[in-house]
Amino acid sequence: HWRPRGTGVALVSHQMQPRHEFRAHTAEIELFLAAPDLRSLFVEAGRALAELMAGEPLVPSGEAVEVAVRAEDREALLVGWLNELIFRSERDKRIYLAFELEQLTPRSLIARIRGAEPRTLKTAVKAATFHLLKIVEAGSGFTATVVLDV
Amino acid sequence: MTAMDLTRARRIDEVTWELGTEYAPGMIVPVRFLADELLVGQIGTDRSLEQLINVAMLPGITRFAIGMPDLHEGYGFPVGGVAATLTPDGVISPGGIGFDINCGVRLLATNLELARITPWLETFVHELSRAIPTGYGRHGRLVLERHQLERVLLEGAGYVVRELGLGVPADLTRCEGSGQLPDAEPAGVSARARERGEDQLGTLGGGNHFIEVQRVVQLYDEPAARAFGLFKGQLTVLIHTGSRGLGHQVCLDHLGVMDRVSGSYGFTPPDRQLACVPFGSPEGRSYFGAMCAAANFAFANRQLLTHRVRQVLGRILGPHFPHPVASTVYDVAHNTAKLESHGGRLVCVHRKGATRALGPSGFELPDVYRGVGQPVFIPGSMGTASYVLVGTDESAELSFSSCCHGAGRALSRTAAKHQVQGHVLRKELEARGIVVRCPSNLELAEEAPAAYKDIDRVVEVVARAGIARKVARLEPVGVLKG
Repeated sequence: HWRPRGTGVALVSHQMQPRHEFRAHTAEIELFLAAPDLRSLFVEAGRALAELMAGEPLVPSGEAVEVAVRAEDREALLVGWLNELIFRSERDKRIYLAFELEQLTPRSLIARIRGAEPRTLKTAVKAATFHLLKIVEAGSGFTATVVLDV
Repeated sequence: MTAMDLTRARRIDEVTWELGTEYAPGMIVPVRFLADELLVGQIGTDRSLEQLINVAMLPGITRFAIGMPDLHEGYGFPVGGVAATLTPDGVISPGGIGFDINCGVRLLATNLELARITPWLETFVHELSRAIPTGYGRHGRLVLERHQLERVLLEGAGYVVRELGLGVPADLTRCEGSGQLPDAEPAGVSARARERGEDQLGTLGGGNHFIEVQRVVQLYDEPAARAFGLFKGQLTVLIHTGSRGLGHQVCLDHLGVMDRVSGSYGFTPPDRQLACVPFGSPEGRSYFGAMCAAANFAFANRQLLTHRVRQVLGRILGPHFPHPVASTVYDVAHNTAKLESHGGRLVCVHRKGATRALGPSGFELPDVYRGVGQPVFIPGSMGTASYVLVGTDESAELSFSSCCHGAGRALSRTAAKHQVQGHVLRKELEARGIVVRCPSNLELAEEAPAAYKDIDRVVEVVARAGIARKVARLEPVGVLKG
């Protein structure tokens, strides 16, 4: 089975499928991510954030907007990407849930994102943190851990 | 998760435990934590002590890193963690304050008895939920002009009372620091932070923020209760919120800077979230000034919510009672760094999920509380009691004049949702006469009493440790969840 996940990358059956889990953390939320490549890892991070924030199924609407993020390293870039989405969600009162990564380097990304206005906000996410932050290159892809302050 | 070897913890007294500097390489000072046997067991189940050990490695830390009885795992510092660093060379770390700068509580004491307002209780709570926005709600916000936001950042609650006329002078005298941290430097508050905050004054936010309507059910210290304006059967309102997105962005901006420059000051933190710089460095001063400005935004936010509560009180209960009043008992911060004098040294006290608790001779106390001590509030979880305590002079020596800020989480949100069904909890709370306003049953389950430590036990440890004394017990009758 394979299915495109919005990254433009076709995934074959032996590859790691993009996925995420919200793991137990006493006060906050520990987000675990796995994906066959860094692009889909970053996209999956955005999807996980949207799932956490939205209390209802949402359909993206409106024009895509361009987002550029720079950071010191790829781990900080993942945190910066999530914090950019959190900032825009709070400012625009929208949840961003469709992502196209146009450029991704270890220290920068450019993406086009689309969102929807939710009726309610399920979980208010304050920030993505550096705590326990890691991106690990596994045999068939990448995994990452990020703790979100909620 | 690494299991802590607590057999190496030294018991100093019945509720004070210590891990010496030999416990882990890099520790500069010991780690202390306040707990009874059961709480020790709970603390040992998450990473909170590992995080406190990391805190004990911060350059310039003095005496000890200490965990309050509600200690639990956070990020950077644990929640319930307190540490003092020597100034100007010791460090300041945004991870020791958290993203929700000056998240805190304000208690309002009405001149009404709950028993007399019961017929209007549900309407009162419902109207609070209509007047006070949660989540992305747009109603009720105070949208600030640029120059107004600047004044809020500088003047805190004082701007809301003096310039906007939304409050009374006693609201200010009964706030920690009169509702204003004097070292605020708005220049360190970025355009992004201002953008996040410009329409968030007067909003509750989400997560564990709440407004709780309560009844005073028991007095333990009548003179102190009288000084605080509390009496048995009284209707009170507790407001718990902070600096909202503005504060989150201030932390984020300055944490990013410190993450880049920590190494140039010769320190690589054991946890990247503990990025830090010397207090007296340009980056340290810039963060401290911005953090104080965000704290002022939070004081102003709680002042505005106080005004909203009074509006609703007047509208709903005014027709039935002459002159309903809600007076500020006190407003205290949970997540701050403050310059304080301890042991004759000027130190930067980081309190992350902890509250200041001055004793009767605390010089910063308002006149009305001199000789009594600072009111300390320990909210329980939704559906359980909250406590009003009073700080002791001994807390200066024991905990840098600090106390715990709540019951403390015992279960993750995921575990809470597995153990508790939100709709069942809602019915249970309603059956007990508690009016609940929370749109989602899942969110309700996340904040269920089972997810928290036993508040009675936590408060008992506080009292046995001698950092605060019990004054009153309050039980919830209405909850508006953020």
